[in-house]
Amino acid sequence: MKTLFFTILLVTFPSIFSAQTEISGRVFDTNGTPIMGANVYLDGAYDGATSEENGYFTFSTSETGVQTLVISYVSFETAEITMEVSKMQNLKINLREDVNSLETVTISAGSFTAGDNSKINALKPLDIVTTASALGDFVGALQTLPGTTTVAEDGRLFVRGGDANETQVFIDGIRVFKPYSPTANNIPTRGRYSPFLFDGITFSTGGYSAEYGQALSSVLLLNTVDEPTQEKTDIALMTVGGGVGHTEKWDKSSISVNTSYINLAPYIALFPDRNDWEKPFESVAGEAVFRHRIGDGLLKVYSAFDTSNFELTQEDINKPGGQDFGLNNNNFYTNASYLKMLNNNWTVFGGASFTSGKTKVGFEETTVNSTENAAHLKLKLKKRFHNRLILSFGAEQFLSGFKENFNDDSTAAQLEFDNNISAAFAETDIIFLRSLALKLGLRGEYSQLFDEATLSPRVSFAYKTGKSSQLSLAYGNFYQQPESNILKFNNNLSAQQTQHYILNYQYSANNRIFRAEVYRKHYKNLVMYTDEYPSFDSEFSNSGNGFAQGLDLFWRDNKSIKNMDYWISYSYLDTERKYKNYPVAATPSYANTHNLSVVGKYWVDAWKSQLGFSYQYGSGRTYTNPNTEGFLQSKTKGYNNVSLNWAYLISPQKILYASVNNVLATKNINGYQYANTPDTNGNFARREILPAADQFFFVGFFWTISEDGTDNQLDNL
Amino acid sequence: MQNVVTYIIIFFAGLIMQAQSNVEQSAAVEPTKYQKGMQKAFQLWQQNKSWEAANVFERIATAETDNWLPPYYVAQINVINSFTEKNETKLKAQLDKAQNFINEAKAISKDNPDLMILQAQLYTAWIVFDGQRYGMTYSPKASELYAKALAIAPQNPRMILAKAEWDMGSAKYFGQSVEPYCKEIQRAIDLFATFKPQGEFYPSYGEERAKQIKAESCN
Repeated sequence: MKTLFFTILLVTFPSIFSAQTEISGRVFDTNGTPIMGANVYLDGAYDGATSEENGYFTFSTSETGVQTLVISYVSFETAEITMEVSKMQNLKINLREDVNSLETVTISAGSFTAGDNSKINALKPLDIVTTASALGDFVGALQTLPGTTTVAEDGRLFVRGGDANETQVFIDGIRVFKPYSPTANNIPTRGRYSPFLFDGITFSTGGYSAEYGQALSSVLLLNTVDEPTQEKTDIALMTVGGGVGHTEKWDKSSISVNTSYINLAPYIALFPDRNDWEKPFESVAGEAVFRHRIGDGLLKVYSAFDTSNFELTQEDINKPGGQDFGLNNNNFYTNASYLKMLNNNWTVFGGASFTSGKTKVGFEETTVNSTENAAHLKLKLKKRFHNRLILSFGAEQFLSGFKENFNDDSTAAQLEFDNNISAAFAETDIIFLRSLALKLGLRGEYSQLFDEATLSPRVSFAYKTGKSSQLSLAYGNFYQQPESNILKFNNNLSAQQTQHYILNYQYSANNRIFRAEVYRKHYKNLVMYTDEYPSFDSEFSNSGNGFAQGLDLFWRDNKSIKNMDYWISYSYLDTERKYKNYPVAATPSYANTHNLSVVGKYWVDAWKSQLGFSYQYGSGRTYTNPNTEGFLQSKTKGYNNVSLNWAYLISPQKILYASVNNVLATKNINGYQYANTPDTNGNFARREILPAADQFFFVGFFWTISEDGTDNQLDNL
Repeated sequence: MQNVVTYIIIFFAGLIMQAQSNVEQSAAVEPTKYQKGMQKAFQLWQQNKSWEAANVFERIATAETDNWLPPYYVAQINVINSFTEKNETKLKAQLDKAQNFINEAKAISKDNPDLMILQAQLYTAWIVFDGQRYGMTYSPKASELYAKALAIAPQNPRMILAKAEWDMGSAKYFGQSVEPYCKEIQRAIDLFATFKPQGEFYPSYGEERAKQIKAESCN
């Protein structure tokens, strides 16, 4: 009976049971400014309203009981209020700004990022290949950034008074042990890896994350492409060789392969250089990236193999006939990583890399065969508690084994050592406000070889000073083991240490970026030895030390002049150190006081061409002149280089590229070599150390054949 | 690169018109809550209150968790409004929001060519904003999506139109013949004549645009 009664009641007085409740209130931001346009609604129901100019909203609903009111507005964090519907009146709602916004401060001290959607890009991925002086080498492009020193005859990265060994390279977070191809003295090396396989590059000149260790000065982080955009074949024909690349995609996986063959023989036949080549530089290299999606996880396997060889006679003041030098190097590198999103905003990352390098060096009658195998294992966990609080921690293990056989007329020797390092790190990112962020990290390492533990705290902090400007501060402690040329003779040492203090100012608006950074670095426990080169008889100690301080400026603008993009970098460096066999503290020969780079790119629409220009200046570098008193007391002339390039887009997929390095043919002197013994007047004779060639010409044709592009092309061929 | 794609903006001029045809309703049956909500949203959109329309679509999306259309339209309004946005901070916020709703729609409806086209248009919004910076990364991605959408629905005139228009822009820039794409556009126009959306409130735009391109670029 009761049910019947209710049914009748319902039919007769439906309004009693579907009584409308009025919901009302106002929406503000955290400063109390009303928000207009916010979407206010009951979750899962259709009822809601859009807030008006004064933030006011009102709507009626037939829902009853406890409900969730959702308030969402673009670039603010969505708020939810769960309560009795009847009490949802005259609500006052404050929305917090979403920190995942371009306006949020970023910790920028020490680092340059080249990516697509990172907030501030000093460099774009394409810059790597279109910088006139870089010749397609990503390291060459990075050398136009402040904080680097021009050491033209070396080709590696020298950062803020640190030598080239103080920079470590990581691919997908995993260490690369031998990032450069070996070369002879005075011939610049190139990065081994093709820039086309990477879509994100972060170059840090100091104060970097606790995740990275074994680097005193700098880290270079390269990320391989997660998912290639399309299937394609790339063909490159160059005056120095050729290359073929191919990308194939399947439902869940993809593979990119890249091979190249370089032979400088024809070029050197046309334009002979200062070296006497018995066998000009020749290399074969192959790289592959395989990616496979497993649910929410991504597996990436990167492998690279290269083999290079050459033989030449180089001028030498102590040897009238010149110095014979030959090299044969095989290098294999592989790296696998797996990244997976877990529940509750956890992310797990696991990775491993393995390198095997075999080098055979011959100079005069001596042959040295060395084998170096190294591995890196890493596991990292990350928890995003909130957009404003992220915690990550992990552990890693480095394993390396070195073996060398030394043979000449009189001696045969074998040297070997194993160097294993275990490390653990933890780091937290806290974004207090859009204008205030902090990163705290701690890294601990244990070296089995030295039976020694080190602890490195790292802190950085960023504060937004205006709409487009911010200040960052960073402090960090960094440790690195001595190099294998020392460890092969002596294991009774400690890790070398630096401390970085960095203050950074950054202004970025309308495609213009200005950065200024001052820093101070302290070096401790640098390795010293007693002879000219480390050897069996040398005495080793960790008694070296030093400092570096300076100012780095960077300006990039692609707004002021139409179709023109340019950047200017200037670095001032003041550094002295006592290490290796230095009798006194001195400025090393790779460090100079002033460095300036100007890089410009101008797009000429009518010609479908990009014209590139770059100018590099480096002030004089130190050398020891035995004819006067002192050590590293003299300086060379400054270094000047103007380079030009031209990229012509023949069709969407065909590019013709030409470049000239050192257009003005400036004669740059990298240093001097002095005779071991004085002449009859008691004078030590010297010769200039010049680059192998003053100028370098390059012409290449690059053709991409892709699936959807084929229509375009074949229709018109 | 930026020139290759600025033409896309025009594409959206005719887009809102689609809403109209969707609102036509068989009056015989009492409309459901869903139908009433969708109609209200399209009306707001027609009255140039696109943000309010987006808010209504968003509300419907939270109630109809297995229907891809409400999140699709939230994303579409955010994408369309981004084409004229000059403030990068706002642009990123809108496109982030659009991306979230596309992701939501994709989770409901897999391999949906309309969502692929919308995703490609989202990339295009970035390219239009700064072709030099985003062109390199996003144009191949957009190209791939246009090709993929057409492969899934080879007889859908909207997919034919979207891909032909994209390819035509690049051909024009490089001074190549647009003839093959004109043929495709004609094919799209022919197919539009008999095109029936799969269901109520399904996207049905494109015919006007196809005729406009034909008039402007083909003879």
